[in-house]
Amino acid sequence: MKKLSRTLTKTLVAAALTAGLSLTASAADKFKVGFVYPSPVGDVGWAQELDKGRKGIEAAFGDKVETVVVENVPEGPDAARIMNQMASQGADMIMLGSFGYMNDGLKLAARKKDMSFIHASGFKTADNFGNFQTRNYESAYIAGIAAGYLTKSNTFGIVAAYPIPEVVGIINTFTLGAQKVNPDVTVKVVWLNSWFNPSKAQESARSLISQSADVVFSLYQDTPSVVTVGEEEGVYVINTSSDMKKYAPTKLLASLAIDWVPYFTERVKAAMDGTFKGEPYWGGMADDAVSVASLSSDLSAEQRAEIDKVTASIKSGAFHPMSGPIVDQDGAEKVAAGSAISDGDMLGINWLVKGVETRIPN
Amino acid sequence: MEPLIFILAGTLAAATPLLYAALGELVAEKSGMLNLGVEGMMAVGAASGFVIVALTGSHALGFLGGAVVAMLLSLVYAALTIVFLANQVASGLSIGILGLGISAAIGKEYEGTTVTTFAKLDLPILSDIPFLGRAIFDQDILVYGAIALAILIWYLLEKTKLGLIIRAVGESPHSSHVLGYNVALIRLSCVAFGGAMAGIGGAYLSTAYTPLWADGMVAGRGWIVVALIVFGTWMVPRVMFGAYLFGALTLLELSIQGIGFNVPSQILSASPYIITIVVLAIISRNPILIRQKSPMSLGETFKANS
Amino acid sequence: MARFKIEPRTENSLFAPLLVSSIAIFLTAIAGSGLFLFYGKSPSAGFHAFFIEPLQSTYGIGEVLLKMGPLLLIAQGLAIGFRAKVWNIGAEGQLLIGAICGGYLAILFEGSSSPFLLVAMVVVGALGGMAWAGVAAWLKVRFNANEILVTFMMSSIALQLLYFLVTGPLKDPAGFNFPQSITFGEAALFPIIMEDTRVNASLFLGLFATVIAWVFIQRSLLGYQLIVGGLAPAASRYAGFSANRSVWMALLIGGAAAGAAGVAEVAGPLGMLQRNISPGYGFAAIIVAFLGGLNPIGIVLSSALMALIYVGGDFARLSIGLPSAVTAIFQGMLLTFYLASSFLLTHKLRFSTTTVSVKSTPEAAE
Repeated sequence: MKKLSRTLTKTLVAAALTAGLSLTASAADKFKVGFVYPSPVGDVGWAQELDKGRKGIEAAFGDKVETVVVENVPEGPDAARIMNQMASQGADMIMLGSFGYMNDGLKLAARKKDMSFIHASGFKTADNFGNFQTRNYESAYIAGIAAGYLTKSNTFGIVAAYPIPEVVGIINTFTLGAQKVNPDVTVKVVWLNSWFNPSKAQESARSLISQSADVVFSLYQDTPSVVTVGEEEGVYVINTSSDMKKYAPTKLLASLAIDWVPYFTERVKAAMDGTFKGEPYWGGMADDAVSVASLSSDLSAEQRAEIDKVTASIKSGAFHPMSGPIVDQDGAEKVAAGSAISDGDMLGINWLVKGVETRIPN
Repeated sequence: MEPLIFILAGTLAAATPLLYAALGELVAEKSGMLNLGVEGMMAVGAASGFVIVALTGSHALGFLGGAVVAMLLSLVYAALTIVFLANQVASGLSIGILGLGISAAIGKEYEGTTVTTFAKLDLPILSDIPFLGRAIFDQDILVYGAIALAILIWYLLEKTKLGLIIRAVGESPHSSHVLGYNVALIRLSCVAFGGAMAGIGGAYLSTAYTPLWADGMVAGRGWIVVALIVFGTWMVPRVMFGAYLFGALTLLELSIQGIGFNVPSQILSASPYIITIVVLAIISRNPILIRQKSPMSLGETFKANS
Repeated sequence: MARFKIEPRTENSLFAPLLVSSIAIFLTAIAGSGLFLFYGKSPSAGFHAFFIEPLQSTYGIGEVLLKMGPLLLIAQGLAIGFRAKVWNIGAEGQLLIGAICGGYLAILFEGSSSPFLLVAMVVVGALGGMAWAGVAAWLKVRFNANEILVTFMMSSIALQLLYFLVTGPLKDPAGFNFPQSITFGEAALFPIIMEDTRVNASLFLGLFATVIAWVFIQRSLLGYQLIVGGLAPAASRYAGFSANRSVWMALLIGGAAAGAAGVAEVAGPLGMLQRNISPGYGFAAIIVAFLGGLNPIGIVLSSALMALIYVGGDFARLSIGLPSAVTAIFQGMLLTFYLASSFLLTHKLRFSTTTVSVKSTPEAAE
């Protein structure tokens, strides 16, 4: 007992000492960037890609920056605490890695005018609060072409997170890409209403395969769950965020890869220079923010040539994947021949193209 | 793989983790121990099972390890309720929370990684039967093991003296104590068995059903298991039926979406609970029926010298 | 066990509850030190991050109070029922229903600036929680259905109902299909009561509940009847009280408190309906109620401690890089040790209590 109480006293004294120390340490004048991720940083996936962006910043700025990370922060009332604490510990900038952090982030940004914020996939901005998204719909079009070439059953299955415009847009261009080379393609979707539910994602993939899908698309599922099912069942798989080749060495058709390093680096530089403005950023193939990785070697040389051609035309801005004529599921014309969808319409897109069998849930 | 084969084959697999955990929990509840910590026990089983398979490559060791770790957690519950006479509800919830925390800690370094799939049994003639072959006879050994375990437990509880003693302890620990049975030991063993089975269920989930680790992947199955026992009115065949029914419902939800029906998936997700409440109300209404089915001392702390 | 002489406590010791809590906290501190060491952190740094850092800033204190509010409110409601041996473990669901009902009102009267809107939301939320818990009471009274199982299952149903509503009827029409409602107007939000924090006036609901609970238990005949009705149905029937009334009262009170707590969340830090409303407050409150010895004053302390662990856990993630799992492990340990040591509330040990309790904790079983 005596010994224990002595240790306890020691502990308390030490605690008091560290309290004093931590106050002095925070005075260091590095540029401090906080990162909040919605899921754990796994081997692959959304959080891993954001974290690569963070490492990119560290590589670019060396000891001029300091980064702090909190992963696996649920989109609920507790997320605000993490951000606020980052702010109170002297963060100069915060990267918010999920849609659900938007409102709390905006509240904090309004209080901390001298800080800069960048927020993933939201739709609101403020003077010091910008958001960023990928034009994954561009790479999805390319993946659609590849899938259109290689399918035998002409049925695709998509395991999708939420029916938000970003996801709806990807489903549309994926379908249009496939239809470009294979007009008979139909697409089935399972809405998981989750970014992160590996068991259900696998069940959904198997269910789609049982309904004769021979290409399965893991749309914003943060684990390799669907990809491994594809390899196991012998159907082609496509996924978002990271290159998942190693989880499906023979059946990966394409990965819609993203790269946040250029954007994050540019934003941190702007914030350091005091030129940061809260703007929406929508990075596409032209910005090297999105690309198609690990295209399947089952594609023939001619097919690859065609894919390269389309890729180049999207990259140069000559071609928009949502170019008319496009009709929706009910046959109504949504984009007229000879024109492409506007960025504004794309950001709020709420309809699926003809060829997608599943509806957007109401 | 046609949709019907998918649902049949998928149901067998989806129900397997539920069935192991439910059979274990059933035995514990039969002895009067309401352990609400199933979710936590499955989670530690899942995490430790996964880590062992990732390290050793042996699924057998993974299931064994998952069972042992979850059993250790269940022993904490047993100690609280049997030795320290603590409230069963609070004790179950506390090991549930503890289990979820420990599971996240165990699996931390393995987040998002995969292990090799658990091999399916090669049943030469049976799996060649058209339709049924792929629907029923293309599974791994634990799927059949769950069915065997169900039969074994049914036999044990209904036909053996040990089963009679367990049920007697659950009915009236006081009379059993007076008759000279070691109530504490019997209850402890039943809880430990329940823990081990929950561990196997969890390990099956993370190494066979969805062979990858993601924190929180048990995703409420432990709570479904608790409901399942009630749905099955504490009887093995009905619990088994319930496990397959609940398993089928989750797959049906996904199939329906793909086919294009517009049923809110939440209705299907909630239906097992609604059905269970109705079943519970029906059996509870009749005093004889509820006496026959549910262990009368369920959830009550037993103190030998009172 | 047989080595020690165990005697049932006959008298109610004032000292015993304090002793029990101290032992539980002491054991948790020891096991917690081990946990910190396991993660390669010094226990002093760990305890500092967990228990001192949050209290060093107004914001941190505010966060603790913010977290404490719903735990306190729900636990006070539940404890009344637990005293009557009515086990409502579905406060989580009752909270969600309260949030839905209150939130629905906020959506319905979007743009209203009436000061009564918030009051109406709390009332409707509490009624909603009562109704949800009332189903369990009715099934118990009418069909004798076990309330532990019914309240628990009703929670799962409530969660699905919330999911359905935020992806469907209550979804923000301009919210790009994201599963959440519109953000509530000013009039539908609790005012902030501490500058630079998120602490809002809903904290008073918890404090108010504490006073009510104390009066109810200490002073009222109703409270007495409730407890007797639960403890000894036969005796209470003889005395003219009804066991059924205990069931109804216990569940309705718990449901009302949880429902109001749900409103406090959506009309507080959230400001909208969404899928994640409660990080398990309903379940944590059960622990808080037990940890507080089912005593209104004890619950004030236990809810503060529990809130501190939550907030401290988040602080520790950032300041010393501990994983979030540590928070849950800490809470689980605290309750486990508390439940084990609460044996001393009803029993006396002949030998020196400290040595015995250290030896016979479930640590040995792990």
